[in-house]
Amino acid sequence: MKTRAALVALTASTLLLAACGTTTSTSSAAKSPIVIGVSVSLSGDFSGDGKAILQGYQMWVNDVNKQGGLLGRKVQLKVVDDDSTTQQTLTNYTTLIGTDKVNLVFGPFSSLLTIPAEQIAKRYGYVLLGPAGGAPNVFAEKYKGYAFVQPASVVNNLLTFGQMIDALPAAQRPTTVAYATSNDPFTQPQLPPLQAELTKDGVKSVSYQVFPDETPDLTPEALKIVHSGAQVVVLGTTSVPQVQAFVQTFVQQHYTPKAIIATSGPDQGSQFATAIGAANTEGFLVPSGWTPTANTYQNGKFVREYLAKYGGTANAIPGDAPEAYSVGQIMAQMVAKTHSINNATLIKALHDTTFQTVQGPMKFGPYGAPVGGGTFLVQWQSGATQIVWPTSIQQANFEYPKPNWK
Amino acid sequence: MDLVFGSVVLGILSGGIYALMAVGLTLSFGVLEVINIAQGMLVLVGAYFSFALEHYWHIDPLVGLLVTIPALFLIGYGIEWAFLRPLRQDRVALSILVTYAVALVMEGLIGLWFGDNFVAIHAWYVDAAVDVFGLYIPYIYILGFALAIVLLGAVYLLLYRTKFGAALRATVQNRDAAVLIGIDVQRISTLTFAIATGLTAAGGMLFGATNAFNANSMLDLISRLLMIIILGGMGSMGGALIASLIMLVSVDVVSVVWTPNWSTFAFFVITVVVMVLRPQGLFGAPPARKV
Amino acid sequence: MKPNNMLAAGVISLALAILLPLTVLGSSSAGVIAFVVLVLAALWAVYTIEKRRALLTSLIGVIAAIAYPLVFNSTEATTIMFFALLYVAIASSWNIIGGFTGYISLGHAAFFGLGAYTIALVADRLGLSGGYGLFAVALLGGVAAGLFAIPMGYIALRLRTIHSFVIVTIAFLFMYQLLAFNLQDATNGSSGLAVPQPDWSGAFFNIPFYFAALLLAVLTVGLAAWIRNSRFGLGLMAIRDDEDKAAGVGVDTWKHKFTAYVISAVPIGIAGAIYAYFSSYIYPQTVFDPMIDLTIVLSAFLGGMGTLLGPILGSLVLQPAQQLLTLYTGAAGWDLVLFGVLFLVVILLMPSGIVPTVVERMRRARVQEAVRKADALSQDAVPDAAAEGGQG
Repeated sequence: MKTRAALVALTASTLLLAACGTTTSTSSAAKSPIVIGVSVSLSGDFSGDGKAILQGYQMWVNDVNKQGGLLGRKVQLKVVDDDSTTQQTLTNYTTLIGTDKVNLVFGPFSSLLTIPAEQIAKRYGYVLLGPAGGAPNVFAEKYKGYAFVQPASVVNNLLTFGQMIDALPAAQRPTTVAYATSNDPFTQPQLPPLQAELTKDGVKSVSYQVFPDETPDLTPEALKIVHSGAQVVVLGTTSVPQVQAFVQTFVQQHYTPKAIIATSGPDQGSQFATAIGAANTEGFLVPSGWTPTANTYQNGKFVREYLAKYGGTANAIPGDAPEAYSVGQIMAQMVAKTHSINNATLIKALHDTTFQTVQGPMKFGPYGAPVGGGTFLVQWQSGATQIVWPTSIQQANFEYPKPNWK
Repeated sequence: MDLVFGSVVLGILSGGIYALMAVGLTLSFGVLEVINIAQGMLVLVGAYFSFALEHYWHIDPLVGLLVTIPALFLIGYGIEWAFLRPLRQDRVALSILVTYAVALVMEGLIGLWFGDNFVAIHAWYVDAAVDVFGLYIPYIYILGFALAIVLLGAVYLLLYRTKFGAALRATVQNRDAAVLIGIDVQRISTLTFAIATGLTAAGGMLFGATNAFNANSMLDLISRLLMIIILGGMGSMGGALIASLIMLVSVDVVSVVWTPNWSTFAFFVITVVVMVLRPQGLFGAPPARKV
Repeated sequence: MKPNNMLAAGVISLALAILLPLTVLGSSSAGVIAFVVLVLAALWAVYTIEKRRALLTSLIGVIAAIAYPLVFNSTEATTIMFFALLYVAIASSWNIIGGFTGYISLGHAAFFGLGAYTIALVADRLGLSGGYGLFAVALLGGVAAGLFAIPMGYIALRLRTIHSFVIVTIAFLFMYQLLAFNLQDATNGSSGLAVPQPDWSGAFFNIPFYFAALLLAVLTVGLAAWIRNSRFGLGLMAIRDDEDKAAGVGVDTWKHKFTAYVISAVPIGIAGAIYAYFSSYIYPQTVFDPMIDLTIVLSAFLGGMGTLLGPILGSLVLQPAQQLLTLYTGAAGWDLVLFGVLFLVVILLMPSGIVPTVVERMRRARVQEAVRKADALSQDAVPDAAAEGGQG
């Protein structure tokens, strides 16, 4: 008993010390820095995306401080973890704004957590730029201080895919399509607009499934698509594992659609390739607001610095990082324009300007929905992602039909 | 290919994988009277070990089991020695708390070690499939099912054909009486828990080969595994197998003939009905003690 | 190690495990100070209540809770305490069935979710706007939870084996979650529902919610205390000890446990509604959330099952500890490990929960003292102090 108690105590203290060792307290720089509060998912279901978002925020802070900061003051991040829960998100933003009195705040990952953050920002009149909160219910909160920093809101995400299919020569155009989506506020609203457009273009829906986000086995859903023999597959997936589950069954059943697109997963760079197998990425489509090779504002610099800091290849950069970086860019432009970090002033500047970001130019509607922009389509080709649509910025031709699985 | 036929066949085969993940849970309950909430996390630890061997050292996951099973055996041994053995009264309730805490620590450490990226285990037999009456049956499922049968069979033999097994079964029936007739219950308990954890390594490898995963997958897994062993009857290995099959087949069939939306709902309805009719579970011993 | 030393070690490691990483991080926030004060106060409460000054202590506790937002007037401290108080109500209510009768339900989050959906749907359909009036609507959440508890209890309580009861209650919870996802016309499915918000300023916003949670907590604890000291409560505890024997001595076991089950649903429904109002938006997975049940059970076990103080203490310790650890160590990625280790240490050192351990130690000390006194007085005296003594 004694030994065991000692062992427990020893383990506890070792872990505590280790924890203390890894957390370096941030030393404040020079004269009162501008503090930006950031609550992101560093643990729990969204931690993969949350960490990538944090990378983007931190890179922007480094860059802005290299150029002398905002209004001559250094910028400092105050980062807290939201554990991927709404409850912790509420506590975090209340603490950041109400107690710590940070100057500005940036948004969390996912529409799910953006709404509580938006609620608190609204209560205090803070401007909230969200890198990943684009579901219709976020805009339905009608907060003028919110903006969704991606080129298109979630409902319009897949429309470009419909345009691209419509632009195919009539002889090649597919005739059947199968849809499957997770019952998630991010994915579910994306499918009906696309379905309406494809139906209008004469592409028949042969299967439409909604599956629970947490289901033990996606094999039957995948089998149903295989059975339908659809020429095009549209997956409303929230995560890499869901795409992996479908692909695994498609490969095993020797079923290759002519085109396959997923709402989320193929945008996760090397993580996607590791999970589904590098060879199986060929031909996969994903709507995206950013690619490493796009000729947008400061994009080249962003990619170089990212690779220098985190290593890997350009294709492996997760899409969350540039989205978060764009949040910083927009904030910098608003502050430069108004010469102020007063949130009420910033909110006024949010609506009448076109901002330049690594994701391209951006403009926001009254409640933060992006206006005028659209996603483009990215396709995995020979292990790299290429823009294939719209043609004005395309880097490679749309590979159609998709080659067989390896 | 007939869709219902296909989903039943694949449901049965993947049920075998779930059985292999769940059997450790039911075994440790039967012998130690503990509910091991860390089981879901141990599955993932097994999966991560197999993944690491395959990804960094290019060791085939099946061959890798020769490493991962002993590794998890040792981890199980350690957990039992450090955390479960000291529990005297109220073992079931306390074990839930203690193993939950152990699971959290493991989840945290795995997260720090491997990061949050989703990974999956690859091998040629994961993607390849054999054509049976128009349905392609993936080798990994056949392999998983076979492995489940072989390992569960081995445990069965261990239980019913060896002296250790006899002592173990005596312990299951009555801990106090077993002590009285001179059985070293402590040793039996530790070994059983270690064996149960070792088996979990195989379940973890198969889970990791058929699903992409990260350390956060733990809670989903443990709630499914608990459902399985209670539906099957706490402590019953056969029950765990049958309940796994019921879960996977019912979910799969409802998904294809009706809609995926209500597939898990159907399984919960089955569970409630079975429990009301047979509170001890399908193969549980009738007069279960109240805790 | 002597038991008393072990207890001391437990309390010290608890305090250390929370304080150390925080001080090193250099963030001395009001929330943390408030939390440490809270833990010490709670332990003191156990001590004095055991000394039979229950009424006085409860009174001081309530006054302290009322004064709290004035003393710790930071939104961080009030938010964290709001959640902690909400869980005091939830765990105390759960304790009426789970702790008193031993029927451990892992599906009470169903009532939480029912309450949350009730307030959201009523506000939406009637076009209500935010304000104090919505707290009255929150009561409807309790009514709905109680009504739904009737058929659920009718089915679940037929199961007398603990495992099957647990699993059926979990199954119920998941079924409600799926219904909330799938009945799109009524619940808006995966897109969730908004709850109208009051236009209170940020500095004031938490205060009404804090007092609503406090009121609910006080009433629920009062209800639990009243039940515990009533004939009805005696029947419930007889069921926990041995249901057959209880039936044998004339307790209508079915009526007892069924009533306890339905009663325990009501405050949780109200709590769910208040939570929904506070958080402004609900999704099926955030209110029909199995983590809520896990938190309830962990709080109750940590504090001490079946005692009145246990769930209160457990919630007051666990909720803030979890949130503060996430807030201050989460960025470094150590929150899970720290939380797990902290939990392990407490469980291994105080296996029956904090309250029973403290009570037991005190009782033993008192017995020893009695023995010593008796020895001093006469050789023949037999101490029987162990036989009496109130339960926490």
